Amino acid sequence: MRRLLPADDTVSPPLSRERWRDRGYHEAWERALTLGPQTVIEWVTAAGLTGRGGAAFPTGQKWASVAQSADPVKYVVMNADESELGTFKDRALLTRDPWGALAGLAIAAFAVGAHEAYVYLRGEYADVERLLEEALALAPWAEAGSYPLAVRLIRGAGAYIAGEETALLNSIEGRRPEPRVKPPFPTARGLWGHPTVIQNVETLANVAVLLAHDVAWFRAVGTEAAPGTKLMAVSGHVARPGVYEIPMGLPLWTLLTAPEYAGGIGGSGRLRAVLLGGAAGTFLTADECRAARLDNLALQPFGASLGSGAVMVFDDTVEIRQVVRQVAGFFAEESCGQCVPCRIGTRRLLEQLSASTLDIERLRDLGGAMRDASICGLGQTAPQALLSYLDRPSLWPRTSKEEECHA
Amino acid sequence: MKESNPASIQSLLADLPKERASLLPALWRVFEADGVLTREALAAVGEALDVPAAEVYGVASFYALFHVEAQERAPVRVCTDVVCSLFGAQELLNALRGRREKPVYAATCLGRCDAPPAALVGRQALAPASLEGVDAVLKGVQP
Repeated sequence: MRRLLPADDTVSPPLSRERWRDRGYHEAWERALTLGPQTVIEWVTAAGLTGRGGAAFPTGQKWASVAQSADPVKYVVMNADESELGTFKDRALLTRDPWGALAGLAIAAFAVGAHEAYVYLRGEYADVERLLEEALALAPWAEAGSYPLAVRLIRGAGAYIAGEETALLNSIEGRRPEPRVKPPFPTARGLWGHPTVIQNVETLANVAVLLAHDVAWFRAVGTEAAPGTKLMAVSGHVARPGVYEIPMGLPLWTLLTAPEYAGGIGGSGRLRAVLLGGAAGTFLTADECRAARLDNLALQPFGASLGSGAVMVFDDTVEIRQVVRQVAGFFAEESCGQCVPCRIGTRRLLEQLSASTLDIERLRDLGGAMRDASICGLGQTAPQALLSYLDRPSLWPRTSKEEECHA
Repeated sequence: MKESNPASIQSLLADLPKERASLLPALWRVFEADGVLTREALAAVGEALDVPAAEVYGVASFYALFHVEAQERAPVRVCTDVVCSLFGAQELLNALRGRREKPVYAATCLGRCDAPPAALVGRQALAPASLEGVDAVLKGVQP
């Protein structure tokens, strides 16, 4: 299922004007200008598009709230700070079809009435940066329409937390990328206090293909609650790691094993677990991997969500307890330190996971406090993978003393 | 490598708007020129953009890709996160550390899990990374 990723037989170079036309972005942009802001937002809402960065917030609702604001100054921002553990889908998308997300950004700006847009790219993606610089110099949207739009590229400098939307705004403003307390949400007070739409790369690419077609086309794939496709970044022990575009609702097992996707379990060939959704994701056992379908509604019974689309696959030689400790190390390293539950909590989690036995009651208690009291998604979701591990004793080490400790 | 001085920093940043939003781009320019952000350089950036030096330091020291102490044109980072560590990242890191005088950094996920292990040499990504690959990039870098 290819919508966002161009078909393999696409011959036009990624940054050519032919590609801009081949992929329907010229038409999409013209159509947006013809339909007008109000109708574009209605399309996005009717398509049922939700954010692809992890939070899955309804995109049309976000745009409507910014468009309605009386503030004459508005901004749109493309979040290309992809830094979630195991996630590389936006890099693949921007490399293979850079126009899509940029066309979506221009359409978003037009729809909400913004004349300044920002692309915030993680500093580790120098290869993508060169493409984007070239793309912004060409700016095909500036020729086709009369809508004035300045797009600036901002290079991050290595901070996972800068991908959190309000931290990202602070980073653009030249401040430390620490998250802001919400509310107010960026749609009310974003960049320099003005209403701001922030969208993930993949969300904006979806907007472009939606406007290149229509709502019925968009909804023809996926599920009723989650229309469209999703990019999944599959890594670890599979035959073919990479980024795959799937219809929402595809069985996880198909993604892992079908020849057109990851092509089967690699390593020892025997699956132990999958970490789905990134560092803030959920471990699924091999049995769960055979049962789960990839959309947020279907994943609820597993306590999981698609998150950023990361699928990290571990064969049966991997000690999951060790992965849990690494994830805790990731959060302890990347916590910005602004709020106490996260600053202290991520350290305590790492310390406890480095001990020989786990005190499950205390870990759950700490995880709950972090989830309830942290300012932003980092601290709130830092215990998520650990808690999912504690809920699945079949993933515990065979020689585990954890059960004794629990008893 | 000769470090920038306040006068050269002024000219390096001359075309940037004198405002706080120019801070991150300004830090990148100085860092790419010097391979380090010294206290003196940070003070000069603050002066140029009219941002207090303490806040410039606060921003610069937040980011993993900036160095406010060690000076190196192309710092080497090896991703030792979940997926890369399944594919020899720690071994690569140890091997590099064993033969380099300058520090080799362990990095959190570099977003190249499809070709592990990943590394950054300066701003150039290597995936999969190897001793030979890192050497080849370093060879092309001016000391």
